[in-house]
Amino acid sequence: MELSLKDISVTLSGEEILKSIDLTIEDGAIISLLGASGCGKSTLLKTIAGIITPSGGSVFLNGSCADNLPPHRRGTVIVFQDLRLFPHMTVADNISFPLKMRGVSKEQCRKTAVELLEKVQLEGYGERKINEMSGGQLQRVALARALAAKPNVLLLDEPFSSLDENLRQDMRKLVLKLQKEYRITTILVTHDRQEALCMSDRIALMKSGKILQYDTPERIYHAPASREVADFFSENAYIDGTVTDHAFTCDIAAFRTEMPDGPYQAVLRPGAVRIGPWDGKRDFQVTEISYRGEDYGISLKDQTNGLVLNTSVPSPCMFKVGDLVSVQLDQEKIILLPR
Amino acid sequence: MKKWQPYLLLSPLILLGLLFLLGVGNALVQSLGYIPAFNMKEITLKYYRQVFNEPALFASVKVSLVIAAVSSVLAAVFGVVLCAALTANGRVRNKVLQIVRIPILVPHTIAALFIIMFFSQNGLLARILFHMGTLGSQADFPAILFTTNNIGIIMAYLWKEIPFVAYFVLALMSSINATLGEAAENLGAPGIKSFLHITLPLCMPAVNKAFLIIFAFSFGAYELPFLLGATIPKALPVQAYIEYINPDLRHRAYAMAMNGVMLLITLAISAVYYWLSRRTYDKGGNRFGS
Repeated sequence: MELSLKDISVTLSGEEILKSIDLTIEDGAIISLLGASGCGKSTLLKTIAGIITPSGGSVFLNGSCADNLPPHRRGTVIVFQDLRLFPHMTVADNISFPLKMRGVSKEQCRKTAVELLEKVQLEGYGERKINEMSGGQLQRVALARALAAKPNVLLLDEPFSSLDENLRQDMRKLVLKLQKEYRITTILVTHDRQEALCMSDRIALMKSGKILQYDTPERIYHAPASREVADFFSENAYIDGTVTDHAFTCDIAAFRTEMPDGPYQAVLRPGAVRIGPWDGKRDFQVTEISYRGEDYGISLKDQTNGLVLNTSVPSPCMFKVGDLVSVQLDQEKIILLPR
Repeated sequence: MKKWQPYLLLSPLILLGLLFLLGVGNALVQSLGYIPAFNMKEITLKYYRQVFNEPALFASVKVSLVIAAVSSVLAAVFGVVLCAALTANGRVRNKVLQIVRIPILVPHTIAALFIIMFFSQNGLLARILFHMGTLGSQADFPAILFTTNNIGIIMAYLWKEIPFVAYFVLALMSSINATLGEAAENLGAPGIKSFLHITLPLCMPAVNKAFLIIFAFSFGAYELPFLLGATIPKALPVQAYIEYINPDLRHRAYAMAMNGVMLLITLAISAVYYWLSRRTYDKGGNRFGS
């Protein structure tokens, strides 16, 4: 089902949490709401689900306004961060709860519960009590329960944040698989940029109650709309320069570009910065080295103007703090933002 | 020092506990007929036999049980309804809650005076209805005080206990409602179904405890039956007090045996209380049980 938000604003106890949010999610797509904690992404989720009433704007489901639909009739089902499984029911009763509420027969409830337990790889766990399950298993039960409600829109509120890294990967795969299989329009709330990049058809990057950019993962990463967006994905350096006659020039680089003439700011991501060549002008000093397993993160400082660049070198690292090196920029990877 | 610190901090409680146990122990010893001051030194169950052979005792036990059961069941039911209303309206932290607290703070004696003022045949309500012409005379107002139906006592208990139950359950109910209740609605349960299937069952441990507390209290409390009850039969605590103030001090053993019976019944209620809390724990419902 297509979901669209028109000019949604939310004010809670005098504070404006969401400011005029517009967003459309195509039928069957999965998108991420990405942002630091407190940016309003969970509030947006609850507003879609009808738990929070917006102070302005409307929610549309398949083109029709859902503002007057009470939460229990919206079909916008949340998998909560704290799961909220019912502790006085078995796993199977938790899963069939949404069906029971619709008056589905006991036999059918049981059948669906068994089916869904199989889908989330928990065959035979139906009669277990909630307090007999591990964290990862509970996550799957919560997902199965949400699917049992046959959601129009599935809302995942940081569902993997309490899991360790290995379980998290498994859950991501499982969610993607089921999302594709059932073709459910899905919104994933997360503060993990990697999770957003690898799971979504589109990402809505949020800050202070606004959507800064809503785009595909590739475009939001390679063509950020602003410095704030670029900063969310990497530790960047910025250099002012200008484009004249299809040529960008700044203090440390000059290259050809298709951008129109004018003042620009060059975004230097760690991937655009390389150490070398050996016979180059050695005006950068190594100020910090941090081991990251696959590689080393290195901070470099320009001796003449104080510019700080970040880059990485493969392991083993042949540099030490204090070394003087020369730096090369990969022009293909430099992003130009109009100033 | 570290090792003794907990005991030191607990000492006021231990002291009070000891005083209480001393009183109970003393009463039990006296009920067995051992009161050296009155030259009674023989340990005997005679007084208990006397108590159990007294038909008035069973009448008193029945009166006390009926008052306690009726008032506690009704208080639990209406307390839960009040609590649900407070939770549904989000009135958890405002003035309404302060009003709900007032009856809990008012002493039972004052509650009895309220009831007399409003509901006796000379009370405000009887007068108002008479002057409005609804009643032919004030005496037509139904007798609910000082009679064997004990309605006045039960009303006074309800006035105090309905808010108590609501207050006792409120914190748990509002927290369950805000999390699991919200989840249930999100999964397609309308408000009332969400309450009946999720919020209420998970609040039951607290409701049960509140029920047992008020049951044990109204079974053993003295003021309201004394002030509002019938002459015959009397509630058990009132009867015990009357036996206690008998001018013949040697009669005291009999009064204490009556107290022993009350103690037994109260202990039985406590046993149920612990059994219930234990069961909740075993069921794993302890996450939200208090």
